[in-house]
Amino acid sequence: MLGVASALLLVLVLRGIFAGAIDQVTSYIRTSPATVFVSQEGVKTMHMSASALPPDTVERVRSVPGVTWASPIGFASGSVSGPQGRQLSYLIGYDTRTGRGGPARLEVGRAPGTGEAVLDEQAADGLGVHLGDTLTVLGTRLSLVGLSSGGSSITNTTVFVARTEFTNIRGDTDSYLLVGTEPTAAANVADRISAALPGVTTQTREEFATSEARIVTDMSADLLRLMSTIGLLIALAVIALGLMTATLNRIREYAVLKALGATTIRLAGSITVQVLWTVALASLLATTFAQLLSWTLPLLAPAVSITITSTALYQTTLGALAVGLLAALWPLRRIATLDAATAFRETR
Amino acid sequence: MTTADHTAPEQPTGRDRPVTVAVRGLTKTYGHGAAEVAAVREVDLDVHAGEVLLVMGPSGSGKTTLLLMLGALLRPTAGSIVVTGRDRRRVEIATTLERELPALRANTFGFIFQDYALLDALTATENIAVAANIAGIKGTAANRRARALLDRVGLAHRAAARPSQMSGGEQQRVSVARALANDPPVLLADEPTANLDASRGRDLSRLLRQLADEDDRSIVIVSHDNRLREVADRVLWLEDGRFKTLAGLVVDPVCRMQVEPTGPHVDWEGRTLWFCSEGCRTEFTADPQRFVAGGD
Repeated sequence: MLGVASALLLVLVLRGIFAGAIDQVTSYIRTSPATVFVSQEGVKTMHMSASALPPDTVERVRSVPGVTWASPIGFASGSVSGPQGRQLSYLIGYDTRTGRGGPARLEVGRAPGTGEAVLDEQAADGLGVHLGDTLTVLGTRLSLVGLSSGGSSITNTTVFVARTEFTNIRGDTDSYLLVGTEPTAAANVADRISAALPGVTTQTREEFATSEARIVTDMSADLLRLMSTIGLLIALAVIALGLMTATLNRIREYAVLKALGATTIRLAGSITVQVLWTVALASLLATTFAQLLSWTLPLLAPAVSITITSTALYQTTLGALAVGLLAALWPLRRIATLDAATAFRETR
Repeated sequence: MTTADHTAPEQPTGRDRPVTVAVRGLTKTYGHGAAEVAAVREVDLDVHAGEVLLVMGPSGSGKTTLLLMLGALLRPTAGSIVVTGRDRRRVEIATTLERELPALRANTFGFIFQDYALLDALTATENIAVAANIAGIKGTAANRRARALLDRVGLAHRAAARPSQMSGGEQQRVSVARALANDPPVLLADEPTANLDASRGRDLSRLLRQLADEDDRSIVIVSHDNRLREVADRVLWLEDGRFKTLAGLVVDPVCRMQVEPTGPHVDWEGRTLWFCSEGCRTEFTADPQRFVAGGD
C-alpha cells in the first residue's frame, strides 16, 4: 500500500508542480479586475506576443453597452537586471490612479511614479534588489519603490511602472485594454465589443487565461510535461508491478482458500476488493501528503508552486485503479487453474 | 507378519457408530505406460463418526495422496469415496462434477495443514471468519462463530492477533478452529504436529481427540508422529500405496520409523533389531547405547 501511495504521490506532486507553474503564468490575468480583455487583432496571449491597439479603441469600447470601465495597459517583454543577475520580465505600464492593470497585491512600498518601478518580491530576492535600489528594465534605470507578489513564474517575472513611465520607455501605445463589466455579462459584452470593433481580438478573462496557459504549456513547459508523463508512467509501472507481485505472492494463500471451498469467482472478487481498498487508501494518503507539500514546499522554495487539482486527483486515482485491477487480475488465469491440492504440498 | 492385503486391517475401535467415509477400491496412479506409478492401490477403508484414524507410513507411501482424495482435492484413478454429511446425505466424491467440488469441500471437510496455512494479513478471528464465509456464514454471524471457536480451542484472548504474533502451537489451534468453521463431519489433518514441540504436539493431539468425542466428528490424520497414536482409535500403516498390518511391523531404533522385519538388521544382546536402511544400521552399530538407552 505504501508503494502505491508513494507512486501516486510522485504523480500528484509532478502534476501539481505543472499545474502550479501554469497558475503562476496566468496569475496576472486571473487576478485582474477586468472580465474582458481586448488585444490587437489575432493576438490572443501576452506571453511571446506584442499587441498594439488602434488609438480610438478605448473610447469605442467605453461606448459599448454593458462596459462599466475600460483601462489600457502598455505591455512589453524584455529583461530586468539587478546586482545579482538578470531575469526575463514583462513590463506593464498601468494607470496608477485607478490601479487597474497593476499588481494584484502590493506587499511592501507604494505604487510607482515617474522613474520608479514595482517588482515581484521573488524576483527582487533573486536579483538582490531592495526598496530604494536601482534596477534596469529594458535599458532604463528605475528606482524600486514597491514589492508585489504573484508575478513570478517559471518563464519570467513582472515589473510594473506607471503608464507615463512606460510611454517614456516604449512609446505611447496601448497594448491591451482591460474592460470591466457585470461579472455575469462578460461573455455578452465581449461579443458586443467584437461586433462593434471588428479589428481587435476580444476575450473573456477565462478565455484569455486559457490561451495564455496553452501557449506556455506548448512552448515553455515541455520539460515539466515530460517529467510529469515519465513520472506517471513510472508510477503506473510501480503500481502495476506492486499489485501483481502482491497477488502472485499470495498464490499459496489462494490455494488454501480453494482447498477450503472458495471458487475462482470469489477469489477474483476478493482480489478486486483488495485493489479497490489499496488504491483508495493509497490515494487518500498520497493526496494528504501532496496537499501538505503544496503548503510547505513554497515556504522553503518560493519559486515552486504546487497546485493539486481535482482533475489530477480524479485522473491519477482512476489510472491507478485501472492499472492496479489489470495487474492484480492478470494472474487470475493462473489462480483459476491453480490446483487446490498444492495447499498441502507447498510450505512457506 | 506382513500382509499385502489392500483392505485396512481391522483394529478394535471400541465404537459402533455410522460410517462417515466409505472408501472402496481407491486407486491413484500418476503417469502412463512404463512411467506409471501407483501412489494408492485399491484401498478399502471405513471411517466412523467420532473416530480418530491415524494413517502412518514412510515418506512417499501415498499418505498425502490418500488424504487429498478423501478431501475431494484429487481425483482418484479408480474406486469410490462416499462421504455422509451432517444432513445424512451421502455424496460420491469420485463422480461429483468439478464445479461442485468447492461447495462439497466447504460443507463437508475441515482441513488442518502441517504449516498451519493461515492468511498472514488477517487476525485469528478473520482467518476463521473467512472459512465461515466460504461455507456460507456471513457478516456478524461469521465473526460470532469465529470467536466461539477461538474460545473452544482456548485462544479467545488471541482473537486480534495475526499469525506472525502467535506461537506455532497457537497458530495450529487457530488452524483447527478454522477447520471447524463450517462444522464439518470430517476433519482431515496433514502432519498436524510436525512443527510443534512435544508439549504442544501432545496438547494438539488431545484437542483433536476431544473434537472427535464431543462432536461425533471423524478425524483422519496422516503423520509420522508416534505421539498421535495415544489419541487414535485406529492406526493404519500405509506403504507402497497399500495398508499393512501394523502388528507385523517393528520400530527402527535409529529413525523411529515403522519398518517391516525383512530388511537390514543386527542381533544385539539377544534381540534382533530391524532398520529401514543400511544407513540406520551403520549408525546404530557405531553407538548402540545411544539408541537403545532412550527406550525401544
